[in-house]
Amino acid sequence: MTLLRHPAHWWRENRLPLLAALTTMFILLFTVGGAVGIAHAATKPAANDSVKGQTFTIATDTTWAPFEFQRDGKLRGIDIDLIKAVAADQGFDVKIDVIGFDGALAAVTAGQADAVMAGMSITSEREKLFDFSNPYFDSGIQMAVAKNDDSVKAYADLAGKTVSAKTGTEGYAFAEKLGKEFGFTVTGFQDAADAYNDVTTGHSAAVFDDYPILAYGIATGNVDLKTVTPQEKASSYGMAVKKGANEALRKAFNEGLKNLIDNGEYQKILDDYLGEAAPKAATIGEGKAALGNDKLDPGKPGELPKNPAFAVDTPQTHGEFTIATDTTFAPFIYQLDGKNVGIDMDLIRAIAANQGFKVDIKPLGFDAALAAVTAGQADGVIAGMSITDERKKVFDFSDPYYQSGVQMAVAKDSDITSYKGLKGKTVAVKTGTVGYDFAKKLSAEIGFKVNAFQDSADMYNDVATGNSAATFEDAPVLQFGIASGNVPLKIVTDAEPGADYGFAVLKGHNAELLKMFDTGLQNAKDTGVYQQIIDRYLASDDAGTTSDNSFWSLVKTSIGPLSQGLVLTLLATALSILFAMILGILFGILKLSANPFLRFLASAYVNIFRGTPVLVQAFFFYFGVPAVTGQPLDALTAGVITLSLNAGAYITEIVRGGVQSVDPGQMEASRSLGLGWGSSMRRVVMPQAFKIMTPNLINQFIITLKDTSLLSVLGFAELTYQGRIVIASTFRSFEIWIVVGIMYFIVIWLLTVLSNWVDRKFNK
Amino acid sequence: MTNNEQTYTTPVTTASGNPIEVRDLHKSFGKNEVLTGIDLTVANGEVVTVIGPSGSGKSTLLRCLNRLEEVTSGEVLILGENIATAKGKNLDAVRQRVGMVFQHFNLFPHMTALENIALAPVELKMLSKADARKRALELLTRVGLEDKADARPASLSGGQKQRVAIARALAMSPGIMLFDEATSALDPEMVGEVLQVIRDLAASGMTMVLVTHEMGFAREVADRVVFMADGKVVESGAPADIFDNPQEARTQDFLSKVL
Repeated sequence: MTLLRHPAHWWRENRLPLLAALTTMFILLFTVGGAVGIAHAATKPAANDSVKGQTFTIATDTTWAPFEFQRDGKLRGIDIDLIKAVAADQGFDVKIDVIGFDGALAAVTAGQADAVMAGMSITSEREKLFDFSNPYFDSGIQMAVAKNDDSVKAYADLAGKTVSAKTGTEGYAFAEKLGKEFGFTVTGFQDAADAYNDVTTGHSAAVFDDYPILAYGIATGNVDLKTVTPQEKASSYGMAVKKGANEALRKAFNEGLKNLIDNGEYQKILDDYLGEAAPKAATIGEGKAALGNDKLDPGKPGELPKNPAFAVDTPQTHGEFTIATDTTFAPFIYQLDGKNVGIDMDLIRAIAANQGFKVDIKPLGFDAALAAVTAGQADGVIAGMSITDERKKVFDFSDPYYQSGVQMAVAKDSDITSYKGLKGKTVAVKTGTVGYDFAKKLSAEIGFKVNAFQDSADMYNDVATGNSAATFEDAPVLQFGIASGNVPLKIVTDAEPGADYGFAVLKGHNAELLKMFDTGLQNAKDTGVYQQIIDRYLASDDAGTTSDNSFWSLVKTSIGPLSQGLVLTLLATALSILFAMILGILFGILKLSANPFLRFLASAYVNIFRGTPVLVQAFFFYFGVPAVTGQPLDALTAGVITLSLNAGAYITEIVRGGVQSVDPGQMEASRSLGLGWGSSMRRVVMPQAFKIMTPNLINQFIITLKDTSLLSVLGFAELTYQGRIVIASTFRSFEIWIVVGIMYFIVIWLLTVLSNWVDRKFNK
Repeated sequence: MTNNEQTYTTPVTTASGNPIEVRDLHKSFGKNEVLTGIDLTVANGEVVTVIGPSGSGKSTLLRCLNRLEEVTSGEVLILGENIATAKGKNLDAVRQRVGMVFQHFNLFPHMTALENIALAPVELKMLSKADARKRALELLTRVGLEDKADARPASLSGGQKQRVAIARALAMSPGIMLFDEATSALDPEMVGEVLQVIRDLAASGMTMVLVTHEMGFAREVADRVVFMADGKVVESGAPADIFDNPQEARTQDFLSKVL
């Protein structure tokens, strides 16, 4: 971005001597690093006014049982009872305004009401306009059909039919989305009762609504419907105030809710309306409500969570377990200051501390981690591993600890708020991801172009610079990038339901470990520890993961892996050049041979390796050859073979040209002295040819060194690969690629200096 | 041969006892036949100069004598070995006994004068490094360039280069010396010094074949003059006969132009 902003700068620098250019580059980097750092100093308004004695206007819906409805001329429902109970607990008064759901939201945004209490789902879209209280109810959407209708058993049975929903609700949005997938239309109603009636009368085949509403209606016998599918996509209800306003009321609500859960009063309200189907008040919002906290101190990545309700000092009497995991899959597992951190790591450690067992973490890479468990070398694997039927054949899974899913993000200044806004635009995605698949599917419906990238950072940049309108990516990956301040985008939609992640052990083994994990996970969720850990990585106003965003701290943390990469780059280069020289001299001489078959052999070699891209050759040797021979080659071997053969082809031509440019009289003079062809080549022709070849050979060595970067696609952990890995967890592509570039530049510069010295020394 | 220098004798194994015997030599470049049946015999210690117009094939003939050119047909018996068909080591062995001096010197530019001379004896394990060095210095002294031992060819004049080249050709103690227009590339003032070296060599009893454009020198140094034209030996004989009393029209025509 700085590049774009200062073209004049760069033009000037390009004309300056090397040192000045580098210095300026560093100054630019400081500027960038500093700017990012400043952008992170977030501030939060502090509000702690007393609400005692005040009267607040609470806007609500007309009829949305069991949350608000009229009975016997009296307004009641969970929302109504709860807000009244909270008001009593906190010592303020409420005036309830029944103006319908849309009207209630409008009233609060217009300042005519203080808060909405209307079974309102907390969504990221709404959080742009409202501040929400802690969740007081966990809901989900469910489909219901007429009691006597046996024709609809799944969403697919709705094809070509009409369904109903209440406009402006989550159910409506969900039905719309589903309709596109399964080919049915959605009719919207202002009132839930009408939407239900449309189904019972047979106009609509099904209705989509929040599960408590449906459950209540069916339970009371008021609606002749039945549910045939499980509930979808949990969302939580919260009380909402206008963004930035009424902070005192919001805090008081949280405090009151906590008290009511503590003294059992809220549970009584829930039981009252939902009977046996009532949820446990203490677990609502993963325990957030019961704790009365907006947010527990999430702590730092890698730390054990601090939470009074969650023991982390349980005696370690249940043994030690080896837990295999991936190397880098931010935010679930990645390295920070040499420590394995991430949601998975913090969670397994917290659970181990809570349940009283020891863990030995082994980051092996995803495939290797799975293999280690199947081979019995590790007891369990936690690595952002989706629970699939296929894997269930081999592994026993814990309860899901994370639901992943695709989410959309747009540039910070973008006006796009829904998929529809993408019509006619371009969307950036990473190839091979679920985001890619989702965008492809969606593009057919909405009509947008999909631009695929190899690298997440490139993809994000494409959106940030405005080339693409939006990106689709795994929700946690996206949220982590934004939370850590490295991805300058914003999230505008909810995550699509996706895969559940689970902890796994080998099928039939380590049942005790699995049970402890499940118990510990439940404890973590109930006490809010789970949310604490999640917040460390995904909460956008938390600076814990990015306390130091300066360029130098980035360099400090990344120089280790980058240096390791450089060593492998140099190793691969040195080996490749060595073998390429042998091949080049051999085939170069064959090309000059009097024997037409040998000449043909050499020409064929040169033409094949000069006539195909290095990348294709690399894939061929790494994936292709082992597929036929059954003998796997490691990336270094395959890479060195590729680069040796490739560079060897070019060196063949360099050698041929070099030898041919030596005066033939030299060979004649040598032969006339009685020296054999070999001695003549070695003593007379080659020394002169090498002098001619030197500049071309140096060129080829440099090209080969740079070509090692292509081996990153084979997973060979050279410099470019390491750069990509660092960027995968920091998203600092601008700075890292500059650092990587400088490292390449210095090495190549040194190689040039060395070559010139050798040239001067031996080619006098 | 009254000087005290080494005298070259040629061990000969052919029945005739001649170091060079060429029989019906044909040489073609593609379809172009440049030598059309050459017969030439050079006796032990004989100095033969080959003259003739450009393109007559005299250089090609000389180059066939150590097979720098492949022979199309015929026999080339050099020191008893038919090098037209000789292979590998045998060919190299003959070449070690045949010194060749080129028009363009063909010194090795990456070596000093001394290294140029010492290369073959060391590489072919004829002499130790120290002995080869000693011999190279002797040869340099003989061509009057003992002070240029450590000079690289680039710093030598044309005449000096050619004298080093002659010393190099002598390093392997050859029995035959071939000169391919050894003075053609030299500035006129340098021709003399090179000719003097060749003259001394001839006087020492070396068997030599010289292709040259220096008619005066050809006559002076030669025991026998061979006149070639159109790939054939037109006439050969004693210098006086050829230069003063040529029998063939081609010879008369050529000499009338160059003399």
